[in-house]
Amino acid sequence: MTALHAGLGVALGAGSLTALAGLLVPRRARTTVVGAGLAITGAAALLAGIAAMTGRSASFAVPDLLPLFGLLFTVDPLAGVFLAITGGVTVAVGIYGIGYCRGPGDGQGHDHGGLDARGVQAVLPLFVLAMLAVPVAASVGTLLLCWELMALTSLLLVIAEHRRRPTVASAGRWYAVMTQLGLVAILIGLSVFAGHAVDGSFAALRAAAPTLTPAVAALVFVATGIGFGSKAGIVPLHAWLPRAHPEAPSNVSALMSAAMVNLGVYGIVRVGFDLLGDTGAAWWWLLVLGLGALSAIYGILQAAIGTNFKRLLGNSTTENMGLILIGVGAAGFFGTAGDLDLAALALAAALLHLVNHAAFKTLLFTSAGSVVQATGRRDLDELGGLNTGMPATTAAFGVGALAASALPPGAAFVSEWLLLQALIHGLPATGVAGAIVLPLAVAAVALTAGLAVATFVKAFGIGFLAKPRTPEAASATEGPASMLVGMGVAGVACVALALAPTLVLPTIGSVAGATVGAGDPVRIHGLTIELVGTLGATVGSLSPLMLTLALLIGTVLALAGARALATRRAARAARLWDCGGGPLSARMEYTATSFAEPLQRVFDDVLRAEHDVDVSHYDESRYLVQTVEYRRRVPDRIEKRLYDPVLRLVAAWGQAGRKLATGSVHRYLGYGFYTLCGLLVLLVVTR
Amino acid sequence: MLALWRKIRATGRVAEPAPPLPPAGEVPDRVRELRGSVQVRHVDAGSCNGCEVEIGAAFGPVYDADRYGARLVASPRHADALIVTGVVTRNMAQPLRRTYEAVSDPKLVVAVGDCAVDCGLFRGAPGVAGAVSDVVPVDLRIPGCPPRPAAIVEGLRKLTGR
Repeated sequence: MTALHAGLGVALGAGSLTALAGLLVPRRARTTVVGAGLAITGAAALLAGIAAMTGRSASFAVPDLLPLFGLLFTVDPLAGVFLAITGGVTVAVGIYGIGYCRGPGDGQGHDHGGLDARGVQAVLPLFVLAMLAVPVAASVGTLLLCWELMALTSLLLVIAEHRRRPTVASAGRWYAVMTQLGLVAILIGLSVFAGHAVDGSFAALRAAAPTLTPAVAALVFVATGIGFGSKAGIVPLHAWLPRAHPEAPSNVSALMSAAMVNLGVYGIVRVGFDLLGDTGAAWWWLLVLGLGALSAIYGILQAAIGTNFKRLLGNSTTENMGLILIGVGAAGFFGTAGDLDLAALALAAALLHLVNHAAFKTLLFTSAGSVVQATGRRDLDELGGLNTGMPATTAAFGVGALAASALPPGAAFVSEWLLLQALIHGLPATGVAGAIVLPLAVAAVALTAGLAVATFVKAFGIGFLAKPRTPEAASATEGPASMLVGMGVAGVACVALALAPTLVLPTIGSVAGATVGAGDPVRIHGLTIELVGTLGATVGSLSPLMLTLALLIGTVLALAGARALATRRAARAARLWDCGGGPLSARMEYTATSFAEPLQRVFDDVLRAEHDVDVSHYDESRYLVQTVEYRRRVPDRIEKRLYDPVLRLVAAWGQAGRKLATGSVHRYLGYGFYTLCGLLVLLVVTR
Repeated sequence: MLALWRKIRATGRVAEPAPPLPPAGEVPDRVRELRGSVQVRHVDAGSCNGCEVEIGAAFGPVYDADRYGARLVASPRHADALIVTGVVTRNMAQPLRRTYEAVSDPKLVVAVGDCAVDCGLFRGAPGVAGAVSDVVPVDLRIPGCPPRPAAIVEGLRKLTGR
């Protein structure tokens, strides 16, 4: 009995028991029991995942559970990465949920629409179990079953607060429709694939892959790519993501954003690299790379100008998934060009970014959840001044924002550096297509990194610092200790990933190498990461810990120098300059809207924001202004162009359908009769 | 852009020739610490905007006070000297005091226009707190209603010494 088996067994057992406990345990102790159970499930899954990543594998078959196809599970290193990520996120979110889900009477008197209800607490562990089962599923039927279970449980959790906010219902509908259409796309792709194989098991699919014609292989890749891409929130299939993430309870948002969307990437990697094997064409991967770059830029642009706290984080998820898919696409592209070492490096960068994104997005969503729970406000322009009432949450969000903004010493810096290295080194190996695409991809990553810094400076600076803009923000206090512990777990993971990526990178590197069929793309030399190029030469190196130390020393020296220079002159204490007027008020502060205004102006051709200024006058004179009202709306243009026509068409079709149903029984009987006759005629003709 | 260059070339130099340096007169000695470069913050304490027009002209291309070392800045934190126009109204007395406090040492105050020097037309009017010297210490007075740009430039040259 290895660590892998033990971990998987404990995760399954603890998860099932937790789901049962969510149903049976009385309300008072329910969130505590479920939270602890989730933490145990997550920890076990994390251990199992780590064991799988280090090379252990296992297979389980339950042939008789379902008719027609049995359940088949295989744990391999690639699945291990996703098991470990989901497990780690579950630990933090489980502990956080103990305090977060507790009903009214948490000191603030806010009603969170019964997150401690039996239904929510029982579905939460099921959702986690489904997410753990997806990457280990090893047959088409099993994968689809787990995928659907994950989609349904997550849908139930998204609409958990529907009694409190009517907008939840609309978000739920969007999510339900898009996730089900995604499932249909995956179903089509995998069914076509399985039709060409002996049976639906992944081993049979792998064996059948070389016999597929290029057209069939492309159909399989594109159809599954649509389904998995919509789950990952990739443009143009992202419409559900910025709706569902903000409307879901924050612990569910964290699980969805840090763990569930990853499985979309998993699907693309599994189908593209593993199942379809070497049959891939370059254009598949350029498509993935291009859509990734588009999503990265589009997501971060929406986040940079958005003011809804949680929606901003949702848009940032689209951005990060885009970055990851740039890495995945580059890996596939290098693979088809024959440079497997570079392919492994690009995939390792993508997987590392996946891990980093899971860590910082858990932290960001949980701390944002604390803020929303404490203030009841989601608009950044209504927050501010939280650093006095909620110092721990402020620190947590600060760590998360630094990790998310691709600057040293943040976690995302390491993975984006790896990604850029892979893209730059790919230039000589890939011919004309590479010479056009890769520099554009580098530019996209760089632009994204810059906009991400602006976004998170805005979210942290406007949301947490300066003066509170509303009484709710002024009187906000920290939530229960369990929420702080949950954030702490995620925070420690962020710091560890930023300072010591050398601990995880070799393992992730070897997984990536094994997935594309190459050696380890990175070598660890003490505290330094060395990139292995072709023929084993070192093509680049980075030491995050040393970089952080150097930054720290530089900052301390600069501050000390400035202070030493300043004390030479006589200091004079003076009033803060406020233009000579009264005390500064919160209305004089920068708002999220005004902070993003220059960016919005620069990208106006892309965003096309709608402005509206209403000025009303006093009756006496039109020179005396009574009120000025300014409204700005940034519609999602892709959504407007792509979704609105389809929705209109469907609605028109539905309206037309009503004309058939006039209420006359004779007419309905006629429909049945003529359909039957038509079928019979068809049968006669075709036989 | 080309049209702009053409305009510049066609117009040529419009600045008045520099008159001789005026005697320093009433200016205090600490102005020498500024060594010929004076950053000026303008405060409108209740002016009719006549003086503002003339100050604008003094810093315009014809009189060009900048060439003597005076420069308008956007905050008292950046300034060496304040130029105050208008009578000090009650609403502006406190902001004027605070603006004066915000200027770093050695600070100088120039009262521009008759209203700033001695309340001018508005002496004793309701809402008037007094002349500038009633609120903050004044180092240099430039009378006139409004003073001619040449007079303003002459006063500023006493500060810059150039």
